[in-house]
Amino acid sequence: MRLRRSPRRRAPETIVALIDVVFFLLVFFMLVGRLDATAPFEVTPPLATVGTDLPAGGVTVSVSETGALALDGRPVSRAALLAALRPRADAADGPPLVRINAHAAVALRVLLPLVTALEGIGMTTVVLVVTPNAA
Amino acid sequence: MRLRRSRPTGAVITLTPLVDVLLILLVFFMVTSRYLNLDMIPMVERGTAPGAPGPAAAPEARPLLLRLAADGGVVWRGEALGPAALTAALTARVAAHPETRVLVLPAGDADAQALVSLLERATRAGIADVRVVRLEDR
Repeated sequence: MRLRRSPRRRAPETIVALIDVVFFLLVFFMLVGRLDATAPFEVTPPLATVGTDLPAGGVTVSVSETGALALDGRPVSRAALLAALRPRADAADGPPLVRINAHAAVALRVLLPLVTALEGIGMTTVVLVVTPNAA
Repeated sequence: MRLRRSRPTGAVITLTPLVDVLLILLVFFMVTSRYLNLDMIPMVERGTAPGAPGPAAAPEARPLLLRLAADGGVVWRGEALGPAALTAALTARVAAHPETRVLVLPAGDADAQALVSLLERATRAGIADVRVVRLEDR
């Protein structure tokens, strides 16, 4: 007569641990990423090795290759852009950081007067967004 | 005598749908987001009013004027400088006068990448103060 062991009961998988891992991944991606409105056109920022870290917050002005503008993802005319930003220069906590996310091939005749105009309406911090170039 | 109902056992919460939701959220964020690594170059900073030295200033205190041509080339004192020549010229100048400032006069047709490259070359050569002459609206 042959005796068989009764089959062992499998240990129940702790699904709680799996949830923990997934949850941590989710929270991680939500923390390290910054949700930003993308421009309605393609923008490839210039490459540079000397840029500094881009702080969060502020407003993003996108400039397309042809000079079209977008404010925080919405296409605007230049006059509307300046009109929308002018009141924010007098904000209680100071003017916001203005990030100019310009296409690498945009002509400076578009870009530089825009910087001047932004400074003219009271923006004290204007930065140009660049892509770090591993060189 | 009072009869008591046996207590109903609490409904078992199934965890699997929760995991499903979390996983879907995770995959959604991973798929819909683009991860961009971005840096910045300041264009306007608080308290950087240009203190232009007058003509009486010492010659080495006067800024170096670099022209950025429409094709992205750099012209210094009337001669076009290639990237290597520019770096060499700026490095030599910085070695002689560490406080050298650079003034960039860009052509309107030059593109943003050309300007950024020029700023980068000047910075890497050790020049701490680079300014760009702003173009006005026509």
